[in-house]
Amino acid sequence: MRQSRFTAWLSPALLVAIVVPCALGADEVAKPGTFEAKVAPVLNKYCISCHGGKKPKAGVNLATFTDEAAVLKDLKTWEKVLENVELGLMPPEDKPQPTEVEVETLTAWVESTLTSANCRGPADPGRVTLRRLNRNEYNNTIRDLVGIDFHPADDFPSDDVGYGFDNIGDVLSLPPLLMERYLAAAEQIVQRAIIADERLDPLTRRRELERFGKNPREQAAGQPYKGFARGLASNGEIVLEFQPSREGNYQVRVRAFGQQAGPDPARLTVRVDGKDIETVDVTATEDAPGTYDVLIPLTPGRRKIALAFVNDYYKPDDSDPKLRGDRNLYLDWVEFRGPIADLKSLPEPHRRIVFLQPSSKKSEWRGNARIILERFASRAYRRPATPEELDRLLTLFDMALKDGERFERGIQLAVEAVLVSPHFLFRVEYDDDEAAHPLNDYELAARLSYFLWSSMPDEELFTLAAEHKLQNNDVLDAQVRRMLNDPKASALVENFAGQWLQIRNLKTLNPDPGQFPNFDEALRSAMIRETELFFQAILTEDRSLLDFLDADFTFLNERLAKHYGIKGVRGEEFRRVPLTDPRRGGILTQASILTITSNPTRTSPVKRGKWILEQVLGAPPPPPPPDVPELLEGKDARLSGSLRQRMEQHRVDPGCASCHVRMDPLGFGFENFDPIGAWREQDEGLPIDPSGVLPSGQTFQGPAELKAILKTKDAEFARCLAEKMLTYALGRGLEYPDKCAVDRITATLSSDQYRLTRLVREIVKSDPFRKRKGKGDES
Amino acid sequence: MSTHRKLSRRTVLRGLGTAVALPWLEAMAPAAALAGSASKAAPPLRMAFLYVPNGVHLPDWTPATEGAGFALPPTLQPLAPFQDQLLVLSGLSQDAGFAHGDGAGDHARALASFLTGAHPRKTDGANIKAGISVDQLAAQQVGRTTRLPSLELGCDRGAQSGNCDSGYSCAYSSNISWSSASTPVAKEINPRLVFDRLFSNGVPGEQGVSRARRERYRASILDFVTEDARQLRHRLGRTDGRKVDEYLSSIREIERRIQTASLDNQPDAPDYPTPEGIPPDFQSHARLLADLMVLAFQGDLTRVSTFMLANEGSNRSYKEIGVPDGHHNLSHHGGDPEKHRKLAQINTFHIEQLAYLLSKLQAVREGDGTLLDNLMLVYGSGIGDGNRHNHNDLPVLLIGSGGGTIQSGRHIQYAKNTPMNNLFLSMLDRMGAGVDSLGDSRGRLWGLEG
Repeated sequence: MRQSRFTAWLSPALLVAIVVPCALGADEVAKPGTFEAKVAPVLNKYCISCHGGKKPKAGVNLATFTDEAAVLKDLKTWEKVLENVELGLMPPEDKPQPTEVEVETLTAWVESTLTSANCRGPADPGRVTLRRLNRNEYNNTIRDLVGIDFHPADDFPSDDVGYGFDNIGDVLSLPPLLMERYLAAAEQIVQRAIIADERLDPLTRRRELERFGKNPREQAAGQPYKGFARGLASNGEIVLEFQPSREGNYQVRVRAFGQQAGPDPARLTVRVDGKDIETVDVTATEDAPGTYDVLIPLTPGRRKIALAFVNDYYKPDDSDPKLRGDRNLYLDWVEFRGPIADLKSLPEPHRRIVFLQPSSKKSEWRGNARIILERFASRAYRRPATPEELDRLLTLFDMALKDGERFERGIQLAVEAVLVSPHFLFRVEYDDDEAAHPLNDYELAARLSYFLWSSMPDEELFTLAAEHKLQNNDVLDAQVRRMLNDPKASALVENFAGQWLQIRNLKTLNPDPGQFPNFDEALRSAMIRETELFFQAILTEDRSLLDFLDADFTFLNERLAKHYGIKGVRGEEFRRVPLTDPRRGGILTQASILTITSNPTRTSPVKRGKWILEQVLGAPPPPPPPDVPELLEGKDARLSGSLRQRMEQHRVDPGCASCHVRMDPLGFGFENFDPIGAWREQDEGLPIDPSGVLPSGQTFQGPAELKAILKTKDAEFARCLAEKMLTYALGRGLEYPDKCAVDRITATLSSDQYRLTRLVREIVKSDPFRKRKGKGDES
Repeated sequence: MSTHRKLSRRTVLRGLGTAVALPWLEAMAPAAALAGSASKAAPPLRMAFLYVPNGVHLPDWTPATEGAGFALPPTLQPLAPFQDQLLVLSGLSQDAGFAHGDGAGDHARALASFLTGAHPRKTDGANIKAGISVDQLAAQQVGRTTRLPSLELGCDRGAQSGNCDSGYSCAYSSNISWSSASTPVAKEINPRLVFDRLFSNGVPGEQGVSRARRERYRASILDFVTEDARQLRHRLGRTDGRKVDEYLSSIREIERRIQTASLDNQPDAPDYPTPEGIPPDFQSHARLLADLMVLAFQGDLTRVSTFMLANEGSNRSYKEIGVPDGHHNLSHHGGDPEKHRKLAQINTFHIEQLAYLLSKLQAVREGDGTLLDNLMLVYGSGIGDGNRHNHNDLPVLLIGSGGGTIQSGRHIQYAKNTPMNNLFLSMLDRMGAGVDSLGDSRGRLWGLEG
C-alpha cells in the first residue's frame, strides 16, 4: 500500500503533463481556494453520498472538510482517501465512477497538500526495520572483521528483494535454513582464523654433537671430545640439517663452553643457509658449561644451520703470559625449538583477534581473554560491548578452560558466539526514545559504512564515533569523500548500481544461442564490467549524473569493442575509450542494459521503454490489465510487417494505448540495437525505423536525438536516482514524509551541476539517514 | 521406554554388508512414531509439492474423459508408467490469487497463494504477508521426529535485483513455503548444500568425548545468543521485535534438531556421490535435487518437501529442447498456435522431470510396496492459462496412493471454483495433521477415495 502511495508522488508533474494534460497544473495545485473550487465538487459528486450525512460509511465523513485548513487537521484520513482512490477501491464498482481527469484533480491536490504539510516543521525521519546483514554485507564484514576473504555467505540462501534492492530490512527474513548456515559459517570462520591446536606448541629437537650420521648435507668439523661434546680447535663450522614444517621464528639453543685464551672469549656464530644470523660470546668453561640462545627466522624446507667457531686463537709462545694460550670451542648439544609462538609468527587473522598473548600465569588468563573479547565484540557489534555482555561471553571461555582446553580454544568459542549473536547479524538501532531522535554516533557510523562499503566501519569511523565527532557536517562530508576513494567503495558500484540498473540480472539471462552464437561468458562479463566502470568513473571523477544518459567515453576491452564495431582496442583488459559516434554513449546504449531489456529471441521496445520510465524518469507505467491480446510473432506474423508495425497495430486498443504511448516510443528509439546490444540496420529483413513521437509532442530520429531529449529531463532523472539511492541507503521503502528530504536533496543537486558525489553527500546529511522515528510513533 | 532399540543406519549397513540404497525398515522408525501405534509400524506417509510457473497449455494437459482409464493427453505422456498412481484433478481454484482490487501482480499472487490459500498483501517490502502453507503446517505437526521438519528445494535463486511483479516484493514469487503468515521459508538450490544438510555428520572421524563436547559447546552458544536476543527484544519496537522473534524461533528449531539427532542416530552418507554444486543445465539440476528428495524420504530424514522447478514468472529459455524463447513471454501466447506448441513442449519437459522423480520413488521398496505408495505428491501451477492469468481451473496432479487411502488412476472434474485448499485439508487428515480450515478452504475434497 505504501508503495503505491509513494510511486504516485514520484512524478506527479510528469503524469499530469503527459497523461492527463487537463488536470490541475503544478502551480494551480498549491493555490489557495483550489479545494473549494476544484476538489470539493469531485467529492460532492462521488463521495459524500456515502461518506457524509448522519451515518457516514466506515465512520469517514468527508462532508466535514470544507476547506484546506480542515484537511490539514486530519492528514491521516486524507492519506486513506488518496490510497483508496488511487488503488481504484473507491468509489466502489457499483457506484458512478469519476473520470480520469477528476481522479487526477483530486489526487494531485491531496498529494501536494499532504506533502507540504509533512515538510513543515520537523519531518518524520521514518524508521528502518531491523536489518540483518545480507550476503554481500556478511562477506565484506567478515573480511574486514577477521581478515579472511573467503565468502562464507556464498552458501547462504538468496536474500529476497524489496523496492528493487536486497538490503531491505522488511524482507530480509531469517529462516532456520539461514540460521543453520550462520552457525556453520561461524564455526568455520573461527577455525580458520584462530589457531587453537598443537600448531601453537613449539617443537623441540635436540641433537648431540659428538656423533654424526651419514647425511651428506651435514658436516662435522672438529673432533669428539670426552664422549659428550665436539671440540673445534680451529675456525670451522658444524653444519646440521633442520627441516621446519612451518614458517616462524625458531630458537637455537646451544650448550657450549670454551677453552678460553687471549683477550676475547670464544665466539660462536649461527648461520642459516650460509648467512650469519648472530654471534654470541661463549664465556663459560668446562667446569660449568653454558646454554646460549639465538633466534632464527625459518621458512619450511631443508635448512642448513651452521654453528661456527669464528675466533680461533693460538699463541702458545707469547711473551705476555696473559696473552699466551690456545682458544678452542666445545659444543655439547644443540636444540631447535619452534616455531616460537610469538604473535609475529602467527597468521594475520589470528593476530588480529588474539592480539595479545596469554600471560604465563594461568590465573591471569581470564583478564587477558576479557581484553581480547572486548575488542573483538566491540568491532563485531559496531559499538562498545557492555560489561554484562563480556561477563556472559567469558562464561563460554571459562567452560572451555574447565574442560582443560587451551586459552585459544576458549577465545574461539566466545568469538563463535559473537558471530551468531543478533548484535552481529542484525544492524541494531535501539528504540529507547519515544520521540524522533538522531542516531547515536555508532549507529551513524554503521549506516555510513554499510551504505558506501556494504561493510562494517573501519578504525577511523569507530574513533570518530567514540570521540562524538561524526555528527558534525564537515566531518561527515570529509568521511564520505574519504570512503568513496577507498577501494571498498566498489561495493556501492556492485550493489547499488548493479541493482538500480538491474545489470545483476544479466548473470542469468540466456539470449537465444541460435541467433546469437557469439554471446558467451566473456561477452557477458565484459558487458557488466563496462557499466560498472562507467558508474565508477562518474563517481570518482565527480561527474554530473546527467553523464549517465549520454557521455563521450566508455570502458571497453577488445571483445566488447568488437561487439560495438569500435576499432583499435586490443587485449582483454578494460580501458577508457573516447566515443565519437553520438549514437553510442551513456548507459542507455550499453550492451548490458540493452540485453537485460530484451527477450531471448528479440528486442522488446516495451521493456526498454518501461525500463527508462522506471529506472531513469521515475515514472513507472501502471501494470497491464489482465487478458491482453499479445503480439503476433513467428513467420506468419512477419507477413503483417516489422515488429514495430505489429506493435503499432496492437496499440490501437485505447485501453493499451494510454500507457504504451509512453513506453513504446522510448523503446523504438533504440531499435537499432539488437537483443544483445549490437548495432543493426535491419530486423527480420525489414529496415529499422528508429523515429518516434513522445506524448509531449517532441519528435526524434534515432538514439542520439532521443538521448538529447532525455537529457533535458534532468530534474526527473535526478529525483529518480535520488529516490533509488535513498532507498538503498536506508534499507527501506520510501514513505510519504521522505518526500521532503528528496525535495531538498534534488534542489541542492541541481544547484551543484548534478554531481553524483553531491547526491551521496546530501543523502548522508539528510534527516531520514541521520535520524530515527521514536518508539512512541509506531503505527 | 520401549525395549525396541533403534538401529542406526550405520548398523543396518554393516549388518547387510552392503551399501545399497536401503529399504525402509520397521526398526528404524523413530520411537516417537512407534509410540501409540500398533506393534507393527506402517511406513510413514510423506507429502511433496512440485511447482511450475506461468500455467500450462491446458488443451494438451486435460484428459478428454473423466474417471478411470482415461487416455493420457500429450503433455502427460511421460507419466504413462505411473498412470495407476496418478490423479488428474481439474477445476480446482486458488481464488486468493485473483486481484480482489489489488490490480496487477498475478504471478506473485499465484505462487504466494498456491499452498496457502491466502491473498497476499500487496507490498514491495514493508509487512509482507500471505498465510501459512500446507507443507509447513504439516511439518509443524509431523516434522518433530525427523532430522529436518521439511525440505524446500528449487532450481532458481531469488531475484537479484529489480521488481519481480508489479509492486509485489520478490519474496512472493520466489518462495512457495510460508512457516507463518509473515515468514516465507527460503529454498535451497545448491545440491551440495542439500546433501550436507541431510547427511552431514559433523567432523569426520570425531568420536565420543570430543563430539559430546562439541555438542555441549554448541548448545551453550545457542543459550548465549538466545539470552542476547531476549535482552535485545526489550529495547526494540514492535516491528523490529518481530525480526528478533524470527531469530529466536530459528534458534529454537535448531535446538530441537540437535535434540532429535541423538548421537547414535546420525544418518550415514548414502551410496550416492556427494554433489559438487549447481549443474549448469536445468535438467541435471532438477534431477539432482529430485534424487536428494528421494534420499531424504527414503532415510526418513524428512516427510515434507516442496520443490519449485522455477520461480513464478520465470522467463527461462529452454534452448536444450529447441525453445529459445523466454517461458514467461511464451505464456502470453495470445492464441498463437506456434506459441502453444512451444509452451506444451516446455510443459512436457517439466513433466519429464516429474516422471524421473517418480521412477526414483518407485524404485525404493517399502514394506509391501514402494515409496510412491506412501506418498502424496501434488504437482501444479498457480496459474491456469498464462495468457489470462487466471487462478481457477488450475493444472493439478495428485500422485501416490497416500498409504492406500487414495484411489488413483483417475481424472476427476470438480465444480468450478472448488478451493484447492479443500485438497490440502484432505491431505493433512491423512498426514495425521488435520485442521478444521486452512486459508479459504470450505471443507474436505470429495472423491479421492474413489
